[in-house]
Amino acid sequence: MEQPKVILSLMFFTMAFAFYAMTTLCYIGNWVFRKDWMGQTATIMSYIATFAMTMILIFRAAESGHAPFSNLYESMVLFIWCLNVGYLWMEYKYKIKVMGVFVMGIALLSMLAASLLPYRFKSVEPLNPALQSKWKWMINLFEPAGLQNYAIGWLDFHVFTTFVGYAAFAISFGVAIMYLLKVRNEEKGGGNFLVERFPKARILDELGYRGIIWGFPFLSIGIVTGAVWANYAWGTYWSWDPKETWSLITWFIYAAYLHARVTRGWRGKKAAYIAILGFLAIIFLYWGVSFILPGLHAYA
Amino acid sequence: MTDKKAANSGAIRAVWKLLASVKLTIFILIALAAVSIIGTFVEQNKPIETYYQAYGQKWADIIMFLKFDSMYNSEWFSVMMLMLLVNIVACTYERFPSKWRSLLKKDKSFDPSMIDRLSTRRSFTLGKNTADTKSHILAVLKKKRYKFQEFKAGDGTVSIFAWKGLIGRFGSDITHVSLFVIILGAVIGSYWGYKDFRAVIVGETIRVPDVDFHLRLDKFWMEYYPSGQIKQYNSMLTVVEDGKDVLNKHIWVNEPLFHKGVRFYQSSYGTAWNMVEEIEISLKNIKTNEVSKSVNIKWGGSAEIPGTEYVARLSGYVSDFAFDEDSRTVYSKSGEVKNPAVQIDIYKEGDLISRPWLFFNFPGLIQAIPKTDHDLILTGFRNLPYSGLSITKDPGTNIVWIGSGIMGVGFYLAFFVFYKRIMVRIKPGSDAEVGIAGVINKNQLGFEKEFRILVETITGIEEDYDDDLEGP
Ligand code: HEM
Repeated sequence: MEQPKVILSLMFFTMAFAFYAMTTLCYIGNWVFRKDWMGQTATIMSYIATFAMTMILIFRAAESGHAPFSNLYESMVLFIWCLNVGYLWMEYKYKIKVMGVFVMGIALLSMLAASLLPYRFKSVEPLNPALQSKWKWMINLFEPAGLQNYAIGWLDFHVFTTFVGYAAFAISFGVAIMYLLKVRNEEKGGGNFLVERFPKARILDELGYRGIIWGFPFLSIGIVTGAVWANYAWGTYWSWDPKETWSLITWFIYAAYLHARVTRGWRGKKAAYIAILGFLAIIFLYWGVSFILPGLHAYA
Repeated sequence: MTDKKAANSGAIRAVWKLLASVKLTIFILIALAAVSIIGTFVEQNKPIETYYQAYGQKWADIIMFLKFDSMYNSEWFSVMMLMLLVNIVACTYERFPSKWRSLLKKDKSFDPSMIDRLSTRRSFTLGKNTADTKSHILAVLKKKRYKFQEFKAGDGTVSIFAWKGLIGRFGSDITHVSLFVIILGAVIGSYWGYKDFRAVIVGETIRVPDVDFHLRLDKFWMEYYPSGQIKQYNSMLTVVEDGKDVLNKHIWVNEPLFHKGVRFYQSSYGTAWNMVEEIEISLKNIKTNEVSKSVNIKWGGSAEIPGTEYVARLSGYVSDFAFDEDSRTVYSKSGEVKNPAVQIDIYKEGDLISRPWLFFNFPGLIQAIPKTDHDLILTGFRNLPYSGLSITKDPGTNIVWIGSGIMGVGFYLAFFVFYKRIMVRIKPGSDAEVGIAGVINKNQLGFEKEFRILVETITGIEEDYDDDLEGP
């Protein structure tokens, strides 16, 4: 027997899924046919999808009584939410709607992946002892004796910052692909009218970098807060478990990206390849480690 | 001779250049990322047999040889990390002094003809003379929080160098320093820290390594979900210093006790394999098969067996009985309760007459009181739960946190504080001609807009511009 809140959150999921499909189609339409109304529709739908995702997070939190990112499914919702909010902010700031094709495309694929997750990753289950009292710290903060519980709050903060980072990297992944397409087209002396509608390579390069300068500090905060929590809960801030190691791997890759950008000869194309590599590593860190590798992390 | 020397120093120079290059950084970072993957697929720090079972003789040998089984502590991995440090030191030594000198120098004079070579530039007149134009521009720059320095050339040309966000240029250096601090903390931790595990039974007091206090377990209990799934396990701990109780704390998973740099974590639980809380035995007459009323004996205690002159004392327990022929001793094969057995000392009129082992699963296996009609059977026992405590000490932890904090500052400065430079040249004359240009080393897009607004503020004229970044 499902509880009403679960049904509501499933309903919103279906709604968001539909809107992601439509918004992606509209962005593609806007790109191919250059119709303003399509671009505007796409943006509106993208706002509606964000709203639906927000509702899922709220219902999940209300039902489980802890922060709504305690299993793979919930963390996917959070990821897509961050991705979408980040994208809308970028669209507002730079008004480049072709990016929507790629970024909303990633959101749509992520929705698909989340919906294909086996049921055990979706259900709201009692937390195992390691994840206990995740959310209580907020209440306990106001009690004199509760300060130690505050450390548990690091965990929520850890998950949240990590996903802001992932979303920023996803955006720069999309932009890096656009950059490479654009540069390749330019090298061939043009010819592909669709790619010609991308912003100038210089701008794409800059935007990719902007994604990473948000992603990198957030990933770093995620790693450090994770370490603070691990230190509190497991006794060591770093134990080289696969999840930790993979987050360090992605961190190394993006550090390499930053240095590629300050090095002549590595700027541009090579840096874009590193950004793509970085996001592939994020996907493995996020999904591969949970499904393939053994480790202490109970979820993403 | 000199040629050789020159060649030598040339080679040293080349090696130094390589050590200080950012290309090497990229290479090391990618290499570290690549090799780190290995240790996430090969399980770390397992007993050797695990690898032989999982990979077979040949591959296990290779894994052992390359230290893939404990690669993050291996020498070669440490060397790679060390290379990164050497790289940073060399790089810092090579380029940062000159970077700092040029950034921090008092005299900001520049060549005004540079303005014509920069892409972010404008030229205009305000219809005012040179002095008025200058004071107007300076007022705007001041309002936009730019610092500035002005210069006057022989022919009356006035130039202005204005800047802000200089500190942002130090973000990368601060980040690099923070990396040092973090690694320092990690090294300190690995030299002066430890990790230990103790199975503690209620009432027991343990010595804590390296420090001057003891720890006593007062209570241990479990909580369950209605479904029977374990919800939480808890211990009540007391810190004992010089024989006095100084601190009392309830710990559970994720809620440790922290005292004098040592942390005590609730990490597991189980039942003791060498102690029980209490047992229940009965006397049996092997002739009549009659079993008398049972009697309970606490750990370390004794009891009279009703209706006889025997006194039984509980003196031993193993949870999984095994006997070592060589040393002729009894031990527990595992920590699990598989073949529980207790040892009873039986006294008659003060004399020890027998010390049998009684098996819970095999009653009557060995007669407890030989050469009589009597035997004892173990009818029940109550396990003694233990609380599994992890004990850790890592004096480097706080240094790591400090390093992380510094890194945060470094990131903020490197990524969100931009060093912006504005150069202005005002030609002499009553209708002074102004050339203005801006330079930024990152966030070009944002800066172009900011520059446009700056120029608009100066001229009071809105520019006709196209902010559509899409397509040609
Ligand atoms: C994991 C190790 C490292 C981290 C996390 C790191 C971090 C950073 C960061 C955040 C920046 C600023 C990038 C930007 O503004 O886009 C930077 C810049 C830089 N890093 Fe590193 N770095 C590392 C290792 C190194 C090494 C080994 C070198 C040695 C060659 C190096 C040389 C530089 C240089 C030359 C810059 C540009 C400085 C400038 O803009 O003035 N870095 N680094």
